[in-house]
Amino acid sequence: MTATTSTPRPAERDAPVAARTALDARRRRLIRPGRIVNYALVVIVVFCYLFPLLFLLNTALKSNADFFANPVGLVTSPQWANFGQAWVQGNFGAYILNSVLYTICAAGLGTAIAVLMGFPVSRGYLRWPRLWNALFVVMLFLPNALITQFQLLLRMGLYNTQLGYILIMAAGVGVGPLLIAGYVKSLPRELDEAAAVDGSGYWRYLITFVIPMAKPAIATVFILQAIGVWNDIILATILLPDPAKSPISLGLYAFQGTYTNDWGLLAAATMIVAAPLVAAYLFLQRYLVGGVVGSVKG
Amino acid sequence: MSTYPFGARSPLRITFGFGLVVLVVFAIVPAVAVFLISFTDIRGLPGIPVNWVGLDNYERFFSAARIGYNVNALKNTLIYAVVSTVAINALGLAIAVLLNQKLRGKTFARAVVFLPTILGVTVIGLIWSLFFNPSAGPAATVWSWFGADSAFFGDPNLALGLVIFVQIWAGLGVAVVIYLAGLQAIPEELYEAADIDGASGGQRLRLVTVPLLAPSITANVLLAIVGSLQSYQLAYVLTGPNNPATQLLSLAIFSQAFGGSSTSGLGQSQGYAATISVIQFIIVSVASLLVLIYLRRREARL
Repeated sequence: MTATTSTPRPAERDAPVAARTALDARRRRLIRPGRIVNYALVVIVVFCYLFPLLFLLNTALKSNADFFANPVGLVTSPQWANFGQAWVQGNFGAYILNSVLYTICAAGLGTAIAVLMGFPVSRGYLRWPRLWNALFVVMLFLPNALITQFQLLLRMGLYNTQLGYILIMAAGVGVGPLLIAGYVKSLPRELDEAAAVDGSGYWRYLITFVIPMAKPAIATVFILQAIGVWNDIILATILLPDPAKSPISLGLYAFQGTYTNDWGLLAAATMIVAAPLVAAYLFLQRYLVGGVVGSVKG
Repeated sequence: MSTYPFGARSPLRITFGFGLVVLVVFAIVPAVAVFLISFTDIRGLPGIPVNWVGLDNYERFFSAARIGYNVNALKNTLIYAVVSTVAINALGLAIAVLLNQKLRGKTFARAVVFLPTILGVTVIGLIWSLFFNPSAGPAATVWSWFGADSAFFGDPNLALGLVIFVQIWAGLGVAVVIYLAGLQAIPEELYEAADIDGASGGQRLRLVTVPLLAPSITANVLLAIVGSLQSYQLAYVLTGPNNPATQLLSLAIFSQAFGGSSTSGLGQSQGYAATISVIQFIIVSVASLLVLIYLRRREARL
């Protein structure tokens, strides 16, 4: 890097306001011709992402005959009944309940573990702090352990149980403990001592101070793990052979296998699964994007 | 170790120990055990005796009967990893630079690009199966304009490319968000200084943006490599577990261990599948270490 990218030269920093405005104007003029191109590019990018989704919605409202007559044409007589039919035939109510159970329990337990381990390690309240930090990093780079997780549950009598699946999914904490440990560093250590002087025990301190103060990090950790649990399909296939225990991802996959060519119904089923995710996403966007960034910097 | 102010240590030990036990039992032990059982003939059914077989499974991986299948899986995995890593980073950086400008609707665009991360593989798989469905779909329509037709995911020459395409589509969101965060950390003054020195748009990108974005590039490239070398859920959902055209190493682990190409009547040979797991782990570790070293050196030079 040359002087081009060094801090602004003193002459410029002290430049009179008029000169700066002129500079801004020049910048604006420099950017302007590109603006139309930029907007065109943004439209293309958004189109690439929205078109498949809109096509899905369009298909979900078609009867099968309509779809094969003109697959790409806009829907003329919306078949809202597709949704009801998909809901009933796909048994999605039960699958969604399963997924909600797995997601809340596994991501909840995983997040709790991240807090219970991340906080004391970050504060240095335990012996061998470097060992624990190394453990947190190792959690990110574990090899594919499908087979041994299957064998473990088999031998523990937890194969094909919801508890076994939840425990395996909860243990996939990923970046969670690291994120919490990083966030705790920004909380004042004096507070620990002040609370202790006031007679607070360790657990009460965790509940009344750490959890409320670390809420943004905790929410991020929970959401990141929840996405992973909600979307898992392979571990559920291996560990939960009983269809009654299938999560929604597996239920939808099985539904696709059954109604291979009934695209209207399939699309409606996909919409049923996607809609709550999109709705949740609209509310959680702030945490999510922040979380991804945090997990990389942490 | 800093002083622990809360008096009794037992609450700390109980809750920390609880977390540690769950992680060790359900994550660390299975991960380590993969290496151990790769030297055994363990099977998917309980109650069958397990024997040490030394390096038999590794010899089997390279045996004449299997080498074709394995080389194919390895080749597919490498193509998948290289193409998706390069494309995700190039496109991700381009989109991030685009969305970092003062444009209306950029927050919306960012949210839309990130959306597939939320939707998950099953939904993504269905959306694109519908899109590329051979009998009637937008892709088939476009093909027909040129008088062509295609089986898309059923076409052995096209299937891998399409799965890679979907992987890129789905993986861009995370890359864009990370690059955007990196871009926003670059001080505006540097661009002003570059303007004063008369830098062109391309020079601004090459001399200011890319060098200062080096840590984000390292993070993104590593994430994409590790993710794509191990990813198989998309290929599983889009083309099934036993399609040779999209056979990936991690998918081979799954189908060897749990279904598909059965090797004997006694359940699947999971010891052999664990061997593939170990080989995959070695490849992922070596590849990410090499890339990490290379990118860190570059960061230092810039």
